Amino acid sequence: MPRKYKTIRLVIIIWMTLVLLGAFSFGGVWLNIPKLAMLEHTARNLYFHVPMWFTMMALTALSAVHAIQCLRTNSPVSDIRSRTAALIAVIFGLLGLATGSVWAHYTWYEGTNIWWNFDPKQSMAAVQVLIYCAYFALRSALDDPRKRARIAAVYNIFAFVTVPFLLYVLPRQLESLHPGAEGNPAFSEITDPIMRVVFYPAVLGFIGVGWLLYTQRVRLARALMALQNIGEDKHFRT
Amino acid sequence: MASRKFSSWTNGALAVLRKDLQLELRNKSVLGTLIVFVLSTMFLILVAAGRGDLEPRTEAALLWIVIFFTAALGLGRAFLSEKEQKTRLFLRIHTRPLMVYAGKLCYSFLTILCANVVSACIFLLLLGVEVTLPGLFILTILLGTLGLAGATTLLAAIIARTTRSGILLPVLLFPLLVPLLLAAVESTYFSFVGQSLTEGAWAASLGSLLTITSFSGVVVAASVLLFDYVWQD
Repeated sequence: MPRKYKTIRLVIIIWMTLVLLGAFSFGGVWLNIPKLAMLEHTARNLYFHVPMWFTMMALTALSAVHAIQCLRTNSPVSDIRSRTAALIAVIFGLLGLATGSVWAHYTWYEGTNIWWNFDPKQSMAAVQVLIYCAYFALRSALDDPRKRARIAAVYNIFAFVTVPFLLYVLPRQLESLHPGAEGNPAFSEITDPIMRVVFYPAVLGFIGVGWLLYTQRVRLARALMALQNIGEDKHFRT
Repeated sequence: MASRKFSSWTNGALAVLRKDLQLELRNKSVLGTLIVFVLSTMFLILVAAGRGDLEPRTEAALLWIVIFFTAALGLGRAFLSEKEQKTRLFLRIHTRPLMVYAGKLCYSFLTILCANVVSACIFLLLLGVEVTLPGLFILTILLGTLGLAGATTLLAAIIARTTRSGILLPVLLFPLLVPLLLAAVESTYFSFVGQSLTEGAWAASLGSLLTITSFSGVVVAASVLLFDYVWQD
């Protein structure tokens, strides 16, 4: 493993530790968040929930870029990168859904027994996770690796061009409790400056964690592919 | 030169369309089965929910759910038939990929339009729904059909290359169609309750109609770019 990679990994780990410390720093004089009615300390979920979605979007874009690359060059490595990015994106999407659902239960739906309601942004995000699950279902139905890489890349790109409708067009047309929806103030107008001190580093940190997981899985898959090739070669010789 | 190129291109697309329509007219398999499917689904809805008073929004949702399932059932055949009759190679030798795509898109559009007209008529008749703005209703059905055909044609070509094609199409198709479903249901709802709105149903459903139109444009454009990679080996 190159030394540069190790260094970047260490930086990301230390960075995330500091972000976590900042996110959970109670009392004292530093990073005190304003206490709003209903939100109270749950506002700290902003440091986790929102960066998870940003990471997912970054990874889906990465997945689509490598899908295009895969169609252009037919290289199996592009296929591995595209697939791995989609997988990590699904994981971050599920985490984002879980944190959002818990957050909503204790704020928007406080006093009720609701965990999930038809909030457009929430439902559309769930649909996006579903699209990537369909992507993996499609992969499992194709046996020939070359054909699988091509067809899956086509579906990946096709799905990616419809995502803007899910995430940006429809949630703005419908009523939503999320910021930036119809009639709601946008994120930039309602977020206290002190929260940005943690929020922006948290976004970078989570994207860094996503990158770490992604590169790790890609290296593992490439090693497995190399092993398989060696095995096949031996098989040929004997 | 350019015009001759274009005319040969449209000729190729029309030839593919004519071939499919002729095959369809010869044994009437797909459309007939689809209409029977629509009828039986409509009666299921009638039996399950026809006695209570349904909200207009629920009615619009039910109509579009039936339309989506009909499309997933019927349009999946578009490329599977080439595989079964082993005519794929023939088409690949004699026509350009884009001609095949255009021909199949028109064929899918016509098939699903027939099925949708039948389901809309039966639905309105059986459930006794009053459409206050027929123009808006018809426009929504037309645009929705275009979006459906546009999104499904490429996916039908994709599933024709897989091994378990039967169950795969709805799995691939439905999450992608969510924007279309939402906008179509919204616009159909306005065509049902149009008279009672103060600001005018056309103005209220303009956003939805634009969403459907742009969605259709985006999926057709993406399909044109991507079809080559699915069609060639």
